[in-house]
Order: sequence, then structure tokens, then C-alpha cells
Amino acid sequence: MTSTRSMRMLGALLCAAIVFFVTTAHAADKVRVVTTISDLKSLTEAVGGDLVDVESLTRGTQNAHEAEIRPTMMLKLRRADVLITNGLALDSWVDVAVNGANNSNIVSGAPGRIDVSPGLPILDVPGGRVDRSMGDVHPHGNPHFSLDPGLAPQITQNILDGLLRRVPQHRSAFEKNRQAFLARLEESMAGWTKTMAPFRGAKVVIYHPQWIYFLTRFGLVQAATLEDRPGIPASPSHLVRVIEQMKIEKIKVIIVEPWNDRKLAARVAEEAGAKAVVLASMVGGVKGADTYIDALDYNVRTLAEALK
Amino acid sequence: MRKLIALAFVFVSIALASPAAAQQDAEALRRELDQMRKNFETMQQEYRKSMDAMAERLRRLETQSSEGAGSRAGAAPAPAPSQTTVQTPASAIDLLSPRPPFGLYGQRASGQLLFDMGVAGDFVGNLVQRNVDKASAGTFRGQENRFFPREVELSLFGQIDPFARAEVRIEAGEDARGTATNLSLAEANITLMTLPFNTQLKLGQMRNRYGWSNQIHEHDLPWTDRPGVLRAYFSDNGVVEKGAELTWVADLPFYLEALVGAFNGDNDVAFGRGRISEPLLTGRLRTFFELGDEHGIQLGTSVAHGLTADRRRSTLPGFDVRYKYRPEGWLHPLVTAGGEGVWSIRRAEVTRDVTIDTDADGIPDTTLTLGNHRTDTRFGYYVYGELQPFRRWAFGARYDETEQLVRGREKAFEPYVTFWPSEFLRFRGGYKLTERSSDVGFSTNQATARHVDEWFLQATFILGAHPAHPF
Repeated sequence: MTSTRSMRMLGALLCAAIVFFVTTAHAADKVRVVTTISDLKSLTEAVGGDLVDVESLTRGTQNAHEAEIRPTMMLKLRRADVLITNGLALDSWVDVAVNGANNSNIVSGAPGRIDVSPGLPILDVPGGRVDRSMGDVHPHGNPHFSLDPGLAPQITQNILDGLLRRVPQHRSAFEKNRQAFLARLEESMAGWTKTMAPFRGAKVVIYHPQWIYFLTRFGLVQAATLEDRPGIPASPSHLVRVIEQMKIEKIKVIIVEPWNDRKLAARVAEEAGAKAVVLASMVGGVKGADTYIDALDYNVRTLAEALK
Repeated sequence: MRKLIALAFVFVSIALASPAAAQQDAEALRRELDQMRKNFETMQQEYRKSMDAMAERLRRLETQSSEGAGSRAGAAPAPAPSQTTVQTPASAIDLLSPRPPFGLYGQRASGQLLFDMGVAGDFVGNLVQRNVDKASAGTFRGQENRFFPREVELSLFGQIDPFARAEVRIEAGEDARGTATNLSLAEANITLMTLPFNTQLKLGQMRNRYGWSNQIHEHDLPWTDRPGVLRAYFSDNGVVEKGAELTWVADLPFYLEALVGAFNGDNDVAFGRGRISEPLLTGRLRTFFELGDEHGIQLGTSVAHGLTADRRRSTLPGFDVRYKYRPEGWLHPLVTAGGEGVWSIRRAEVTRDVTIDTDADGIPDTTLTLGNHRTDTRFGYYVYGELQPFRRWAFGARYDETEQLVRGREKAFEPYVTFWPSEFLRFRGGYKLTERSSDVGFSTNQATARHVDEWFLQATFILGAHPAHPF
């Protein structure tokens, strides 16, 4: 009797071990990539295709500047072959999670660490002295470059170069995926440019200064921000000035990030006779913005509709 | 006539001879040109090969340097005339110039450091009753009814090289009324990050990872003061030791971190032996679960075991829990709750005097002191909850209950409100009611302090870099 029970227990343990190893082996076939933000997840999936398994540490509805370091992040990083970061101090919090992950593949300087910012034309680079009286300013420039579809070729090139350091044998597959993605993006880009063409030169107000790349790409002008300075909540006097400016300049739209105070934006828009629209500041920021192209498509369509 | 005929002959000869010579010259030139073209193509190919090799090398160096130096190296030079400017692409000369880590000094701008630096200032004011002041029995002993710099901390941290990072914290603070502000080394340690088997080693002087709150610096605590149980069983500053901690993160479907440490045991409240040859040994297990995207709970258990100055065993097991609820899309948690419990189990000597009648005359004529050992077990804990309905405001309360090491019990209740004008500036106001049992012997200066009412005001700022805090 005891022997039978022992055999059953042994059998159950063996089954569990087989399931565990099969699951692990399945995962081991793919390159395990972790990105700090969801835009990079989508772009990495576009380049890596079926050869990569990508997870993002933050969701599109979160403010990527202020991510809370959870041990689950460390768990994801613990198993990662590659970590892809945005750079320009947007996601410098990731170092704390990396420190807790005990994974030498992805520490600063390791081949598995990819920063996608090199080689990009950076906007909003502060000139002269920089200090916190300017708010939560990024001394190396505005880090929200992924909102410009025109920079996707360089970003995906940086991702490709980084992935090839880990898995050079997949070069042709990655390059093919990237070219296919860029072709799709180019096709969409033609449509977006056409949609936004009537609004070139139009002024918009934004909540947090993270839309400059997107606006510049489509020829729109950032007239003001609802935040007094980056990361500093708006004072009543600042809001009064913004409302006054919107009325004088007949500004029709306030762009709000999904994580920001939508009620405040709606109140200001109502006072100024404008509309507050929530755009996807990252992939997954709003419903239907599940991929990089979908997110930009949503943003272009929503903004164009609001500007009419 | 003859002359004319001769002249005509010469002209005709020349006229006939010229095309042949020109043809020969053209042929020679063509050959020369072909040769030059070949040479040029060969040279071009050689140059192309050299340039390709150089570009490839450059790409590798750039990749290494950009990742080695983080995003800073990747960012193009900053100076720009206006707020919104476009960085021009790097020129060929820019591309060929050395990059970090091969040309760090040449690459960096004036005043640019290769590590992060920050200053945190923490000022505390407290108001207590006169008898508590007289007995020096407030939370900040010797600083009752004062506003003082509790901790001004200079932090320097960053990568040493691709394999290790370092952290140095130097702090100054006023420890007692009217004394000079002391400067001390709060922490200085290196972390080896690329060890095998997913381990990490931290060496030097550090805040021990014992429980949740001990590793948090004073200015980052969610309360004005450190919880009573840590103050009673370790010190007002918790436990800071010199030694090493090795951590390992298990490859499991859930997060599990294991830690072992060996330290000198300098903390003279709990240990005091102060020798690495008879070390203070620590251990910790930490796990974390997410309940959906909005709820997170961290569970930990810790132990510290060492010898006291008189070589008696002292063991402190403990546990900690921390929970956060952050609604979808919120920038901050709405609810945070947590607590820690610690046992102090230490050997103590108990003596008693025995009188002996050595000559059996019925009159005791000598006294012997008999010693015996016993184990003293004490327990203390705290629980707290915090509600943050607005981004800039949080309201919370902490309850402490601690059995004192010698005798007696202390209970405290501390509600507080915190306001952040920005991420880098914080004000906190709080009230603390402390009740001590009658046998807690506060009678310094012939005053007692069984019942303590305290009001706190705390102002904290951060200049420069400050690392993010884990959950």
C-alpha cells in the first residue's frame, strides 16, 4: 500500500517536473526581452516577431516617469536575456529593479542592455543652466521620441542592432520583420500625413510636455501646457492665463495623457470653449491602441476629429 | 618654285603624319587613364574596406559606450539656443572622436560627473510637555521642544565599471541639544552585480536589509520617526553594520529573494561583539504577489543572530507585510498598509546571593553569588495605514506596541498628514501619543514621562539625483 502511494507521488512529481521543463524549454526557444515602456514592447515585437517573447515593465496607462518599482518587475528582469530602455532619463528607475533582479545579462554595460535613444534627433534639449526651478526637466532632452513615427526606423534599427548582439543567427529574420513593419508604417504614414495636412500650423494646448515629437511631425504648434512646469501641478493663476490664451488664439484642443487629470483638462477646455481629448501617450494607453501603428492611428484620427 | 614645292611637301607630310602620332598619343593616354582608373578603383575599394571596418568598430564602441554610460552618453550635446531645438546629426568628425569608456574625460562636458549625486535634507521640530522635556524622554531624546536638522545627507552613487556599482552616503545631523552638528559616514558599499548563479554581493557599511523599514533612510520613511520596535531592539537609527550581504533571486514563477549576511555586530543594543570572527549573521526571505494590476502585497521574514558584548547569544527573528492598492491609471497608491513584528530572544545572566553557614554555628558567615542563565524573550510590532486620495496629500496613522528589553511596555499612536508641493519637497505634520507602563523607569532629572504628547513638524527636500524606492 505504502509502496503504491509512494509510486503515485513519484509519478505526480515526475509529471510536474516534465510540465515545468517543457514550459521552461518552450520559453527558452525564444529570446526573452523586457522593455521599460509599452511602445518599445510593440516595436520589439515588430522586429523580433515569433523569435522573441516581450514583456513591458509598465502599462500604457501609466506615467512612465514615475513607475513604482515592484518585485514583479524584478521577476521579469530576472529571466530576461535583453532589457530595452528608452533612455534620456525617462526610465532611469529601471536601475533599481535591475539591481534587485540579480541578472548579469542586463546590468548597465552588458550586451543585453539596449538603449534606443542614440542617433535620434532630440527635441526640447534645454540650453544653458538647468535646475529644478524648471520643474522635472529632462536635461538631455525630451524623452518621448517614440511618439514620432518618423523616428521608428532609427529606433527599430537600434533594437535590431541590440538584439543581434545576443542572437546574431537571427539577423535575416529580424531584418525581414523590420522591413515589413517599416513598409506598413510608411503606408499608414501616408494616410496620417494626408489626414493631418489641413491642420498644419494649428495650435494645441497639452497637459504634460510629451507631445512635441508628434506635433512637430504633423506640423502642429504647442501653444501652452496645463502643467505650470513639467511635473508641477498647475496653479490657478497659470490656468487662468492658459484659458485666456486659448480664447485669444482660438485654440480648439487640449491633449491629455491617459494618466493625467482628465477632469481638470475638461474644466479648462469648457472654460476656453475647446475640447479635451485623451490620446494614447503609449501603446495601450486607450482602448484599441494595442500596437504601435494602432496607437498612432488612434491619435491622428482623434486629434483630426477634434481639430475640425 | 622648288621652295614652294618643298614647303608644300613638308606641310603634306606633317598633315599626313599628325593623325598617326595623335593616334599613338591617344592610345598611350588611354592606357595611362585605364591604369589610373584601375588604381583609383583599387584605392577606392581599399578605402571603402577601411571605412567599413572603422564604421563597424565605431558602431561597436558607440553601442558599448552608450550602454555603459546610460542614456547620457547617447544624448547629443546639450547647448541649444531655445527651449525647443532639434539636435543636428553628428558629423563625421564627431563620429570618429573617442567615446566613453575610451575617452571619458574628453567626452564629458565641463562639470559633468560620471556618477549621480544628491542631497537630502530632513528637518524635524517637536513639541512636548515640560515633564517629558525635563526627563529627556521624548521620541527624539535630548531634542525635545526643538527644531533641528535631523539628517542632511550627501549621496554619491553610480556604476564603478560594468561589473559593480557603489554608493556612498555622508550625513550630518544634530544629535543633542546645543552640540555641534556631527558629520559621519552613513553608508559606503559596493555591489558586485555580475556574479554567477544569479547572486549579488554587497560589501561595506550599509543599512541592513532586516525587515522592511530598517533599510529606508530617515528622510524617506513614511513617518516622522522610526517605529518603536526597531528603536527599542536596535537603536534610534535602526541597524547599520559593516560586513557583506549575498542575495539570490530564485528562478521560480513567483518572486522570491533570499539573503544571507555576515557583519561585525557593532550595534550595541542588540549585539555589540564587534568582531567579524564572531559575526552577526543575518538572513531574509522576501516574496511578492500581485493581485490583479491594482493590488500588491509583499511578505518578508528576517533573522539576525549574534553575540552581545559579554558574549551572550542574541537572536532577533521578525516578519513584515506591506500592501498597496493603486487604482488603474493613478499616479500614486490610494491605500498603503503594512507592519512589522520582531522578537528579541537573548540569553541573560540572573544572579542571586546565597548566605552560607560554613562552621555550622547557626550564623551565616559568608555570602555567595550564584549565577544562572535564562532566555529573555520580548516582542514588539507596529502596524500602519495610509490613505492618499490626492496626488499631493496623504493621511495616515501608525500604532506601536513594544515590550522593552529591560522591563515594561510602551504603546504609541501616531496620526500624520503629508503634503508634497512637488516630488522633491515634502512637509509632514503629526501627533504622537505614547503611553508607558508604570515600571518603565523614566526618572531622569527626577521627572517621569509615562504619558507623552508630542507634536511633530517635518520638512524634507531633495536636491539633485535620488534613486527610486522599491515597493
